[in-house]
Amino acid sequence: MEIPLAIFYYIYAAAVLVFLIFTLFNIYHLMRFGYLTISNILIVIFYIFGSVAILAISWDYIGAINWHQSIQIISTLNAGYL
Amino acid sequence: MRKVFLIQAEGKEKVIMLLRRHWFVILTKILLWGLVAILPVIFYFLMHDFLVIIIFNEAMQAIFILSVSLYYMYVWLFAFYAFIDYYLDVWVVSTERIVNVEQKGLFSREISEQKLSRIQDVTSEITGFFPTILDYGTVHIQTAGEQARFVFKQVPNPRAVAKKIIMIIEQNRKYHQMLDEEEGRQK
Repeated sequence: MEIPLAIFYYIYAAAVLVFLIFTLFNIYHLMRFGYLTISNILIVIFYIFGSVAILAISWDYIGAINWHQSIQIISTLNAGYL
Repeated sequence: MRKVFLIQAEGKEKVIMLLRRHWFVILTKILLWGLVAILPVIFYFLMHDFLVIIIFNEAMQAIFILSVSLYYMYVWLFAFYAFIDYYLDVWVVSTERIVNVEQKGLFSREISEQKLSRIQDVTSEITGFFPTILDYGTVHIQTAGEQARFVFKQVPNPRAVAKKIIMIIEQNRKYHQMLDEEEGRQK
């Protein structure tokens, strides 16, 4: 049985989209209800910086992968233990 | 300045206290998420030999990279959410009322308020090792309203806060008594 590796990439992309939506909601909440103080803005910048760092490092690794290959589940698992 | 924005001041109302949970509460949450963040590193060193067997080809490596990336992305998101939950839970005591602002989840925010004249009893409570050492705890405010009890959770110096609220209530009563007397005289 073969599974295209790209499926995992699309699942990952969907999870990143959810992450970005929740990030926007979080920042909106902090700006809307926490008010525009310097500490508040610094925290938001710090969070955005961390998020960008995680995404950039991930992209660095993900970009180097050939997503056109497939995984043969049975043989892959067997080969792993042989 | 921030205090002014939190509640719409009515007439000569002034904000006296703005309380959040004690800093130790957010510190424990940060430490917890820090621990969650280093768990994969510990796991990697403990299970190194097993991981080498599992991640033996490029496809498995790709899944592994995606998993690690998602793990850290969501740890970062939940840690930030924990901070927002801490930061947006606020209790305000003004010269006229108390306001309880609570962030309940990402899409729910509860704001309740009660006039100082309806407050019947204020008590403070400190339980536990860290609350005793660091002096933080709960302030219970018994009111005659629909929401019978207001609870200021894990606030710093609960005894001092309770004392100050009682003092503000007393001042509020005197002030309104004085206003009533003045009104009576004018009639």
